[in-house]
Amino acid sequence: MNSLIKLELARALRNRKFLFFSVLYPSLLFLIIAGNAGGTDKVAGTGLTVATYMMVSMASFGALTAVLMGNSERIAKERESGWVRQLRLTTLPGRGYVLAKTASAAVVSLPSIVIVFVVAAAVKDVRLDAWQWLALTGAIWAGSLVFAALGVAIGYLASGDAVRPITMITYFGLSMLGGLWMPTTTFPTWLQDIAKWLPTHAYAALGRAIEQSRAPHAQDIAILVVSFALFAGGAAWLYRKDTLKA
Amino acid sequence: MTTTAVGFDQVSKSYGSVRAVDGLTLALHPGETVALLGPNGAGKSTTLDLLLGLKQPDAGTVRVFGTGPREAIVAGRVGAMLQSGGLMDEVTAEELVRLACALHPKPYKVSDVLARAGIAQIADRKVNKLSGGQAQRVRFALATAGDSDLIVLDEPTTGMDVSARQAFWSTMREQADQGRTVLFATHYLEEADAIADRVLVLHRGRLLADGTAAEIKAKAGARRISFDLDLDRDGGAIDAVPLRNLPFLTSIDVSGQTVRIQSSDADATVHALYGLGVYPRNLEVAGLGLEQAFVAITEAEEARTS
Repeated sequence: MNSLIKLELARALRNRKFLFFSVLYPSLLFLIIAGNAGGTDKVAGTGLTVATYMMVSMASFGALTAVLMGNSERIAKERESGWVRQLRLTTLPGRGYVLAKTASAAVVSLPSIVIVFVVAAAVKDVRLDAWQWLALTGAIWAGSLVFAALGVAIGYLASGDAVRPITMITYFGLSMLGGLWMPTTTFPTWLQDIAKWLPTHAYAALGRAIEQSRAPHAQDIAILVVSFALFAGGAAWLYRKDTLKA
Repeated sequence: MTTTAVGFDQVSKSYGSVRAVDGLTLALHPGETVALLGPNGAGKSTTLDLLLGLKQPDAGTVRVFGTGPREAIVAGRVGAMLQSGGLMDEVTAEELVRLACALHPKPYKVSDVLARAGIAQIADRKVNKLSGGQAQRVRFALATAGDSDLIVLDEPTTGMDVSARQAFWSTMREQADQGRTVLFATHYLEEADAIADRVLVLHRGRLLADGTAAEIKAKAGARRISFDLDLDRDGGAIDAVPLRNLPFLTSIDVSGQTVRIQSSDADATVHALYGLGVYPRNLEVAGLGLEQAFVAITEAEEARTS
């Protein structure tokens, strides 16, 4: 399986468009959004500066991009082209394909997280304790597994022309409504009530809790765990259905 | 080795109300080169999918070297090239072959696999930039990345021109000469004729014929005779000529001046035709196409069973 991970990675690193959108784009977006705010402006009700707040949002957004986009469209396309069938004629275990895809997406998502942190620290003077930087990286990286599972599920659910719109709607919907682009506190109340149940909202809230040096809310942890179980279960079910059909 | 390479025992597979494979029983022996022939929809691809464990039979058992298909693949005993097998894009042919070698329990050297498949010159090209025939060769390289005992090929020469096809089969013959069992599905009767020691004819999911290429051709042996009869000039009518009494005639079709005959002994039929005192023009005698050969075999089969 390592050989497949290696090849998937080589391919991902060769794809400039994918690299730009998953690795550099979140940092650029961070600079644009945080760039307008002064160094001491706070996001209401959080005690965090705009730069600190948006740093977690954009790092989460970058990881989301890498794992969701990396999985869904590729899997749908390779299912259709018959590459998945071809792989089933090798010794690679059935799950190996999905694991290799997710592992290589995770390798790309790590730099996208770290680059947002570096840019935030260097350009916007975000300062945190060493343990906070480490915990943030670990939490955002590990949390991206939730969305990697979602990407796999979409890849096995949709095919052909349907996969791109479904991925895009999911991606933008989760990013925007989850408050990755702007704080959900700017939303009308009814939208805030919806947003707080989204896994992306819980995902960013996890990072913010680390920045505020407090324990994460039990509700956010629960939302992430349930989402992961749902997405991974759905992906496994769709994968098995696809295997019987192929 | 005494084990059977491939054994199908009363295997059936349906899609909805369509029986793609219907009670198929067959055994392939180690070292045989076997062609699987059949028109579109005969069940060839389904048979290969069942053999490779990509599909599960509704009834019956499939054994490959005495184990289930998946176990045989994991043991590295099977290499396969599917018609529907896609390739990972945005990677080079060499990278893909390297992956196939890494995944095989008994791999060959990457450079050897590339050379043998005739893709050493295009090894650094992206696979999605290759022509149809070149992509087929990459698929072939993936199927022969290691020392497998059975090689399964589904219509391997699709998209290849004549010279590429010949080169491909000479490579394939080397594989067979090393004692491997080779099973390939094809549309081309000539390929089956030239390569296979044994030909299986599949029709509507059932095995219609099983024998050497010569035996199959003899079974489908009818030939086509066509000619024009310009009788108006002589003042005669075509119906007046006793064409239906020609010997060895199996079917006849007259439209205008053109007569088309199928005969089980074309030489004797043509000889008798001249004996009728007519002057046929544009006379052509041809072997049956594969499609028609199947019709001939099928009709014979249906006549026998009814």
